[in-house]
Amino acid sequence: MPDRLSTVVSDPAGEVSIASGPGRRRASVRLLGRDWALGWAFVAPLLVVIVALVAYPFVSGIILSLQNQVLGGTASWAGLGNYRELIVGKQYGGAFHEALLVSLLYTVVAIAIKFVLGVCVALMLNERFRGRTLVRTILFLPWAMPTVIVALDWRWIYDGTPHGLLNIVLHKVFGADPVQFLSNPSLALWSVIAVVVWQGTPFYTMMFLAGLQAIPASQYEAAAIDGAGPLARFRYITLPGLVPAMIVTTLLSAIWTANSLNFVYALTGGGPLNKTTTFPMLAYRIGLTGAGQLGVSAAVSVILLPLFVVLIYLLTRRMLASESGVR
Amino acid sequence: MTTLARTGPITSRRWRLGKRWLLIVGLTVFAIWTLFPIAWMIETSLKPDADIYGAPGLWPARTTVRHYIDLFSQDDFGTYFKNSLLVAVATTALAVVIGILAAYALTRLEFRGRRFVANVTVVTYLVPPSLLFIPLFQVAFQFGFTDRAMGLVPLYLIFTVPFCTWLALAYMKAIPRELEESSLVDGANRLQALRMIIVPLILPAVAVIALFTFTQAWNEFLYALILISSTDQKTLPVGLMDFINGDVLQWGPLMAGSLLGSLPPILIYMAAQRWVVSGLSAGAVTG
Repeated sequence: MPDRLSTVVSDPAGEVSIASGPGRRRASVRLLGRDWALGWAFVAPLLVVIVALVAYPFVSGIILSLQNQVLGGTASWAGLGNYRELIVGKQYGGAFHEALLVSLLYTVVAIAIKFVLGVCVALMLNERFRGRTLVRTILFLPWAMPTVIVALDWRWIYDGTPHGLLNIVLHKVFGADPVQFLSNPSLALWSVIAVVVWQGTPFYTMMFLAGLQAIPASQYEAAAIDGAGPLARFRYITLPGLVPAMIVTTLLSAIWTANSLNFVYALTGGGPLNKTTTFPMLAYRIGLTGAGQLGVSAAVSVILLPLFVVLIYLLTRRMLASESGVR
Repeated sequence: MTTLARTGPITSRRWRLGKRWLLIVGLTVFAIWTLFPIAWMIETSLKPDADIYGAPGLWPARTTVRHYIDLFSQDDFGTYFKNSLLVAVATTALAVVIGILAAYALTRLEFRGRRFVANVTVVTYLVPPSLLFIPLFQVAFQFGFTDRAMGLVPLYLIFTVPFCTWLALAYMKAIPRELEESSLVDGANRLQALRMIIVPLILPAVAVIALFTFTQAWNEFLYALILISSTDQKTLPVGLMDFINGDVLQWGPLMAGSLLGSLPPILIYMAAQRWVVSGLSAGAVTG
């Protein structure tokens, strides 16, 4: 590390100025902060990643959505043509509308179930009992597994031949014929949601458990002295104490669940009859398969951007509010 | 402290007994729901083909390690595993270093724009990969990252670096400033202070951050799917997908491979699980 940096940062001027007022500081220090050189040097790699690999693709994605561009072809300006195509167009309009509905159903139902199960399991795991650590380890396992492996495992559980686990059980218990969990248009989405719930619930459980453990025990003691019953304690202490964890968890999960492509890709590929084509799946199909309409595909992602910007904005504020170390 | 355990004389015995039963039944049902897919994976991986596709049965009549042997002798599983390992280790090393330096600057150094950088980091952490994958596909071509396993490393920094920075930030905050300031007074410069005071103190946290980061890189699928097409460059999740795209039914080796592919993150999670919940409350881990 060059000496120049260390002289700037260990320059006593900054510390002196605390005692004797800002008038004595050097101009650069006053303008840029005491440790500006080293500070920016240390965050530089982070900023390179953000600018080159997030901001640049992000901007080029927006530009791409305004162009006619086919995979491997040359680009020409399309203006808002791709957006018009998605909203009212003949070729992709129907598919886009359907993908929005599927996405909405998929995200809302999956989040609602994960939320309720997460609260229940967290409350149970917050009790003291023998073997709690073991039970907790087991219940968190799905969270650690790679999503694609989870999806492949479930694909075999759902298998439509008599050899899939669920069909073995259905046959043994009800004598039923094999059910096509993933290729029956009215079942497929629900089958996919069950897998999302299986893997996603532990995250809710963990976040809620952390939230429960942050509630001071003294509050419960005080309530017990005041004669509050178990339900009253849940209503007036546990639930309000969990609200911050609930908000952050739901927002995070909404962003991730809505944008996850892995489960749908590995379980159904978006079929049958597009019944499981969520919008990331649609973007993938339009852009990277078949005709390779990159422009239209980018528009699919960009058109929903405002929604996620709002979610991300709300979350950023919440997460930074709890992060008092960065002022 | 527990939620409802502090009961005292007010709570009736009936409530306590009922709660006990609710707990046992509820957790048992949940444990079964959680474990049956994993049990089915293990069972399938150990059953001979004749039993997998023969008369359907729930319990294995015979067991074999055939699928595991085939996995390594006939398939490219070893290559996928090695690629995943290299990519995940390289990603982790880079992301942890970048994250710690940035977190140090954001918590300990004073400079204009610090708040802005912290904001941008959180926003970046929250931007979902699927929002970026179409333009990234193009950008990766421009940079020449395509169809090479190691080309995934820079792309994996997209989600690992903000994540590491964010977690490191939370841990760094917990170290009292005085420790470091006294060393600065003693004449150490900032880098020496970082190396001699901060790093040793947050070393356990660094281990946890590294383990989480490794898991994220190990599990990644989308970027690897769109950017890698050569068999010898594929990572494990993408390689495993190939098993069902073929015509032959390969559930035996596929489940064996799935089990082996799940082991690294599961073992890591078990080793680090003491810190999982505290790490979550500190910074929210991806889920």
